[in-house]
Amino acid sequence: MKSVVLNIVSSAKIYAAQKIENLDEKRLVPNMMTRRRLTRNSRIMLYLSDKCAFSGGKIVYGSCFGELEETAKIANSVLEGDMISPTSFQNSVYNTAPSYFSLINKDTDEIITISSGMKTSLDTLKTAALQALASGEKVLCIAIECININKIQEINRCTKFLEAGVAVVVEIAQDENEVKEIESLHVDGIIGSLQDLMSVANMHENGINKIKVEL
Amino acid sequence: MKSYINNYELWCNAGNTADLMGSIYDKKSALVENETFLKDAIAGLGIMKYDDIYSLMKEVVSKVLNESNLKDFKNTLLILGSSVGGMQKCEDIFYSQKSYKNINPNKYSMNALTDYLVKEFNFYDSRAISTACTSSANALLLTKRLINVSAYENVLVVGADGLCNSTVLGFHSLGVLSSKKCRPFDENRNGMNVAEAVAVLLIQNKKTDNSIELKGVGASSDAYHMTNPNPEALGAMASMKNALSDAGIDAKDIDYVNAHGTATLANDKVEALGIEKLFVKNVYVNSTKAITGHTLGAAGAIEAIISCEVIKRALIPAQTSLENQSNKNIKINKENVKMEVKNVLSNSFAFGGNNASIVLGVCK
Repeated sequence: MKSVVLNIVSSAKIYAAQKIENLDEKRLVPNMMTRRRLTRNSRIMLYLSDKCAFSGGKIVYGSCFGELEETAKIANSVLEGDMISPTSFQNSVYNTAPSYFSLINKDTDEIITISSGMKTSLDTLKTAALQALASGEKVLCIAIECININKIQEINRCTKFLEAGVAVVVEIAQDENEVKEIESLHVDGIIGSLQDLMSVANMHENGINKIKVEL
Repeated sequence: MKSYINNYELWCNAGNTADLMGSIYDKKSALVENETFLKDAIAGLGIMKYDDIYSLMKEVVSKVLNESNLKDFKNTLLILGSSVGGMQKCEDIFYSQKSYKNINPNKYSMNALTDYLVKEFNFYDSRAISTACTSSANALLLTKRLINVSAYENVLVVGADGLCNSTVLGFHSLGVLSSKKCRPFDENRNGMNVAEAVAVLLIQNKKTDNSIELKGVGASSDAYHMTNPNPEALGAMASMKNALSDAGIDAKDIDYVNAHGTATLANDKVEALGIEKLFVKNVYVNSTKAITGHTLGAAGAIEAIISCEVIKRALIPAQTSLENQSNKNIKINKENVKMEVKNVLSNSFAFGGNNASIVLGVCK
């Protein structure tokens, strides 16, 4: 199977046990009406993309559990026999966060959303590598999980951090000098679906700028 | 490397591929009007006969494998497109037990379906795409690019979505669900019908006697609104233009457009405008959702199969349920048209302004 070598142009990560504070929303989204509609995943996406200095282009976004808060709101509305909030429904699709990014940044480029269970962030990286190879452009590769919903303790056995996200901007490298395989530099307690990309971000923090990825 | 669609099969409200094409050419909608999901209200729905989405996927995938040139899927990548994944069963547990306790998180998301298929068929690897109603169209997009760069020789694309309370009631909350069988591109259309389906396509880098070429793929984002399309059709047009450019052909080379055509006021108005601007009246257009309903994440794969059949049968289907055409500047046929069909363009559009188009055609 084919491998490609990627330059890691920039990276960022963030996580919190319950809720990530100070996502700089007022600066990133000056329009109050738009800001109020943003999901947690969307706010983290805007924060991380800004940290990576990415304002437009192809995006590959990953999330195993997607917009869990909105989905839980819908499920509880159905259970109670209440009308579903139209905003919750439109915000419940897995591509919500990158779509808000595209709307706010007027980015008309391609968005792909991956949801591959515990290998979500690895598959997100593989897909970003493909997009970079096919286009010759820089690609934002980002994975986010926000599972901070009421009664999450009933099923959460996998993470100490209910909100977490990680992003890297990648491009195809011109050579293989000093290329590294992806090392396991996991962050303890982070949900498994983000760990592969966390490792890549940690490698970048450690000064490694070039990785090999199998498509 | 070129991409060839060599085998396929589907299951939807109308039955399998042969049944569905029969319904399409006979203009017999397989949609029903009932109260399955809405209390004291009727919804037009596309409901399949099946036990569960897992066993149905297994049956359809087995049929494609048995009819293919492969012994197994050991060297095949699985790419699934779905908007709800395993949510159907999780909803049942939550509504009956009023608790998350007995929901297995591994059975909730898109990977519930891919994990099942990987276990059953031993695929080399798998990916699950979820971009709402463009999910399986984007699976086809990635497939073409993977084969083009020689990363894989065989890719199995599966589009699968089962009906859920959250999707039916969600579209109802947006006011876009029709209580009747939908009427794409009609002046009096009043909304869409949510539906369910499983569609499977084996795409390979070598052609067979029965191949249809996946010639071009394109995508774009509207960057306009979360649910309403760009009124000037800029996103839809960009997606279609990108697919044509990728295929290396012009708009005049397309014989038939299988439209997204959900029958919502907004989609059909904007999509028709985009087609009008790009193709003028030089291409036949219709929406087969008048038969199948909107199968959400499975729609791109279902409509790719329909497009393959249209090319092979050299018969462009009439638009079912059309009385008074809304946009008269596009060519929508009320009767089937027998003609050589060299190239078809199929559109899929989704929430978030996510657009994907594919071009399929006869092999050179």
